[in-house]
Amino acid sequence: MARNHLTSSSAVCCWIPLFALRCEAARRPELGSRPSALVAPDDTRRVWQVSPLARHAGVKPGMTVSQAIGLCHTLLLCEADPVYYDEQFARLLSALGAVSPVIEAPELGRVFVGTDGLEGLYGGPERIADAIKCGVRSAECGISMQARSPRHSPENSAFRTPHSALRVGWGMGKFVSWVAATRAKPGGAVIVRPGEEGKFLAAQPLAVLPLDPDTHRRLRLLGLRTIGDLAALPEEAVVSQLGRAGRRLWRLAAGETAERVVGREAPEPITAAIAYFSPVAERELLAHALEQLIERALRHPRRAGWRVQVVRARAELEHGASWLAEATLKDPSADRDRIAAPLKTRLEQAPPTGAVERLAVEFTGFAPGTTELQLFARDARAAARAGRRRALRTAVHEIKLRLKRPMLYHVIAVQPWSRIPERRYALIDYEP
Amino acid sequence: MRNRPDRLRALNVPQRVEVELDERGVPAFVKPKTGNGKRIESIGETWRIDDEWWRRPISRRHVEAILERGKRVVLFEDLMTAEWWMQMPT
Repeated sequence: MARNHLTSSSAVCCWIPLFALRCEAARRPELGSRPSALVAPDDTRRVWQVSPLARHAGVKPGMTVSQAIGLCHTLLLCEADPVYYDEQFARLLSALGAVSPVIEAPELGRVFVGTDGLEGLYGGPERIADAIKCGVRSAECGISMQARSPRHSPENSAFRTPHSALRVGWGMGKFVSWVAATRAKPGGAVIVRPGEEGKFLAAQPLAVLPLDPDTHRRLRLLGLRTIGDLAALPEEAVVSQLGRAGRRLWRLAAGETAERVVGREAPEPITAAIAYFSPVAERELLAHALEQLIERALRHPRRAGWRVQVVRARAELEHGASWLAEATLKDPSADRDRIAAPLKTRLEQAPPTGAVERLAVEFTGFAPGTTELQLFARDARAAARAGRRRALRTAVHEIKLRLKRPMLYHVIAVQPWSRIPERRYALIDYEP
Repeated sequence: MRNRPDRLRALNVPQRVEVELDERGVPAFVKPKTGNGKRIESIGETWRIDDEWWRRPISRRHVEAILERGKRVVLFEDLMTAEWWMQMPT
């Protein structure tokens, strides 16, 4: 197995609490002055993220919508737009990627940045934290400038989670940096220097440990209130109570383990191609083919967790000529239409000079996203589609095993308007 | 080559046949390359396609035919080669 070189023991945790709600408030300013809450994307009867004003009125995440409105009559409820939050978060990840190549995003609004070796570039931990804040701020400014251009509607380009909301923590390992970030003031940073972890963690409440509610309740029943209380117990005693999870908790509490930030290397280029049995010159057909190829390339397993930044379309033309169009997306995307738009514009403005015999789409540049985010961004219908696709994939695999070759095909419209019947539709191998 | 995932396979590819014409020049009997020949019960529409004169000209005379036992097919004569082909109706 290839060793991943993108790891780091020193880490900065960047945390923007209530990220989704802040994204919503950035594009709907009226939310800032009123108690507001987001409805859960997977259960529209429940409240998901709650603004401080609403929380003050007694509304809590997980409550039913009717309970929440009963407690706060002026509550402004918003339907969640997970894909939009996901896109905003991808922009934040892109900005952080400019500071360090080691990026790990465990959840929406929380990112770990590996900082091993950055001292030579920026200086000590304080300077690194400043560089990260500065990077995020300049990304915000850059996109705010775009928002003023008529080509970008504010809805589409509002990466305006105010930098004052960003909290930064620096420490050895992800846990220490995360706890440091939770202790930081909005817009501020907390640095935990090597050797100071035990002292820093001792005073923190148990809730900062990655505990399930049941374990948290058990520890509280045992009279433990702080991480220091837990670390003061013998390791074996905690293990005998909580098993393997207890060992991990005790080691985190005692500062004896530093979980490294694990980044991922950008994937190799992904290509999807189609060869025509008779050369095609119609632009509409080529534009349609580009969309289909982009969709196919997006489904490639290597693409999971990454957004496309650079896309290229290549065409082999009749008589040996060729055509090439390349586009760098300002906002990396995993959306077919957004990726296809610049290529289709090129196709309109500078089309191939002859009929196309083979057309290929290639993703050559990627920006980080996370698998978790993509899961998060799916709505119920998308999840159902994913389930069906998984079932189909299994069926196709079984058929291939039994018959030794793929026997399932898609019927696709090639030239449905053609006067020649055999040119209208074609089969292509089915790859769910 | 056949199983390349990016390879398109045309649907309704015409099948080469031998056709016997009656005295009016209308198909009366059709025989595929493999299998038995069939008598043509009746003839429906006929039409002509001329296309792609700029590349490799296509010139076809189409005949919609009902075979014995009721199967409906489209026969066409490639006027460039004088060969007959059979296709499913669309």
